[in-house]
Amino acid sequence: MTQALIKTKEKKPISLKNIYSPSLRQEAWKNGKWFLFLLPALLVYIIFMAAPLFDSLRLSLYTGEGFSPTTFVGLGNYIELFTNPLWVERFSGAVLHTCIFFGIHMLVQNSLGLFFAVLLSSKFKGRDFFRTIIFTPATLSVLVSGFLWTLILNPQWGAVNIILEKVGLKAWALPWLGEENLALIVISLTSAWQWVGMPTVMFLAGLVGISEELIEAAHIDGASAWTTFWRIQFPLLMPVVGIIAILTFVDNFNAFDVIYAMAGARGDPGYSADLLATLFYRTGIAGEHPVGIPNMGMGAAIATMTFTILMTGVLLWLFLSRRQSADL
Amino acid sequence: MMTKSLKVLQTLLFAVVIISLAACGAQPATSTTEPAMPTDTVVAPADTQAPAQEVTLTLGSWRTDDAEAWAKILTAFHDKNPNITVKFDPTNPPDYNATLRTQLETGTGPDLFFVRSFATGLDLFKQGYVASLKDLPGLADSVSAASNAPWATDSGEPYAVPIAAVSHGIYYNQDLFAANGIAVPTTWEELMAAAKKLQDAGVTPFANGTKDEWDINEVVLMSIIPNEIGGRDGRIAYLTGKSCFNDAKIVDSFQRIKDLTPYLPNGFTATSYSDSTQLFTQGKAAMLFDGSWQISAIEKEAPSFKWSVFAVPPPAGKDEYVSFHVDAAIGMNPASKNQEAAKTFLQWLETTEFNDAFANNVPGFFPMSKAATTINDPVAATFLSFNSKAKGTDIRFPWEKLMDAPSGQESAYTVMNAGAIAVLKGDKTPQQAADDLQAALALWYDPAKGCKNN
Repeated sequence: MTQALIKTKEKKPISLKNIYSPSLRQEAWKNGKWFLFLLPALLVYIIFMAAPLFDSLRLSLYTGEGFSPTTFVGLGNYIELFTNPLWVERFSGAVLHTCIFFGIHMLVQNSLGLFFAVLLSSKFKGRDFFRTIIFTPATLSVLVSGFLWTLILNPQWGAVNIILEKVGLKAWALPWLGEENLALIVISLTSAWQWVGMPTVMFLAGLVGISEELIEAAHIDGASAWTTFWRIQFPLLMPVVGIIAILTFVDNFNAFDVIYAMAGARGDPGYSADLLATLFYRTGIAGEHPVGIPNMGMGAAIATMTFTILMTGVLLWLFLSRRQSADL
Repeated sequence: MMTKSLKVLQTLLFAVVIISLAACGAQPATSTTEPAMPTDTVVAPADTQAPAQEVTLTLGSWRTDDAEAWAKILTAFHDKNPNITVKFDPTNPPDYNATLRTQLETGTGPDLFFVRSFATGLDLFKQGYVASLKDLPGLADSVSAASNAPWATDSGEPYAVPIAAVSHGIYYNQDLFAANGIAVPTTWEELMAAAKKLQDAGVTPFANGTKDEWDINEVVLMSIIPNEIGGRDGRIAYLTGKSCFNDAKIVDSFQRIKDLTPYLPNGFTATSYSDSTQLFTQGKAAMLFDGSWQISAIEKEAPSFKWSVFAVPPPAGKDEYVSFHVDAAIGMNPASKNQEAAKTFLQWLETTEFNDAFANNVPGFFPMSKAATTINDPVAATFLSFNSKAKGTDIRFPWEKLMDAPSGQESAYTVMNAGAIAVLKGDKTPQQAADDLQAALALWYDPAKGCKNN
């Protein structure tokens, strides 16, 4: 590789210096060659991301059975989604449940992630072991971990209730996935358990990046570990906090697999764990059990609403983070 | 207890591995246009339809549990028709409708496939994804019009050959019944007395739960209703608007569900369909409302006790009706390249040969053609004996007309399912559940709008 580079260097007068020279760059810009470099990525993006997205937006204006609805209804699907009492109930339920799902991840997964990162950033015996352990669940398939948790939480022979009964807390041995006020919270917690490694790794990277000098200086000034964390480390971690928040937001508003694995496509019991993605799946792809006739147009309308929520959230975050960095 | 749960865990983990392996292996077979897999010795040339040529057909199905049995049935067919090999290609039941539709729409559908009864199948037929069978020789003679009605248009044009009906009943642990001095109940009151007696003896009377939702509706509520409303005639009264969906008989049906609440397992709200089977086969619960299709699953678990099945008993003073439900038919893909071979297979479904191979390899599924059948499985034979003792049989309540609610409305199935669970949990009274059903149907089902309670 280097030899080849050297050879071309000998043959042609172009050196690495020349490639980065302003004159060459200007030339490439002028005759439009820059576009060639963008083309591969752009094509992949258009074919696999932009085109399906726009097709989905288009689809939301049509109605009919099957995978290529043909009757144009304009905003009919949206009007039905926001006026038909059943759709309103299902859709607002899904939005609410998705918000709760997101809230629990922010509260539990990301706070625990920060806590673990702080613990793991200090030096102690077996640190690497714990770093591995905390990240391990994230390498499992969601369907597998969801299935294992349904077994662990099973009221008849699940480990959780057996342990609770053994230690004399029989009254606490609840049907965890069968109660409407419990199922969503329990599923959110298992999902937070699985993904806690992600924020941990990111916070850890952020903490390691903070200069030792700052912490030493604070130490010399007599600041306690608590004060050092909240006054020095945490503020410097804010950009990471922002990125983790937005990643969690996008992930959670698209979440489908964990609910499908633990509560089925309807978010059982009684739609209490129904998220935007499961509502979309039922409406647009699977159809309502047991008839199973999908309504692709309405499904696309729900997907578009999810997209709108995500877009608003991400734009808001971009706006806020821009302003924050400007303030700094 | 711990070792048992470990064992269950191990078995399930093993099952997950096997299923995922099986899924990987099954995928290439879903596309008929792809070249045959290297293990296949029979390769159908795509450009010829001459019957002398060897042909391979695929058969789509939702019966993943019966793959082994179907291999035997299809071998019986192959022995008779050496030129035609049919490959069974099942899909996980909850995903079947969506998967089949995708396959058909993208031109990768199987040559032959299981067709759901009434609205779901009719919808596919109307969109041209199922071939008409009005010219299939012998169909009109071997299958009665009533049996074929769930897979025919209103004008009587058939599009699938009915192969199976299923029955419903209560599986029971004969040893536990004998130990507690309980005779097989013949009325609902006796059933409740038996449940009370078992509970007092420290045994969970019923194994059923509501985690998967569908089973409380399809195997419990739907098998109680025919007794309460008086079979088919009773059901037609609702469908024609002569009775309202919140009349006393429907309220009573939901009341029967409420009767069961104290006798279900601890944590029944999180007890799944397979948990229920396990509770029964491990002898932890004495009775199980279930369908005849579950016979082989229970036999596979090899319970260490004697077990059998009895019909869901009617309340004292009412006639007994059996929930005998049309379940499966096989239709043909009009886009199939091997129509003649597919038709040969469909005609074979009307023979005694098929009936015997089917009924005895898949016990609990009862053939629907008039060709003679011998049923060897004792439990399956017991299920079938209910029909002759009862006053009549009927299909599940909402299937015929109350399933295909327009978009944005709820089907009777959905409302009854939610109602049954709410009643069980004590969130709704039977009257409220029945009122919900009437209110939901009055929004889209015309006869329900104009009904009058007498």
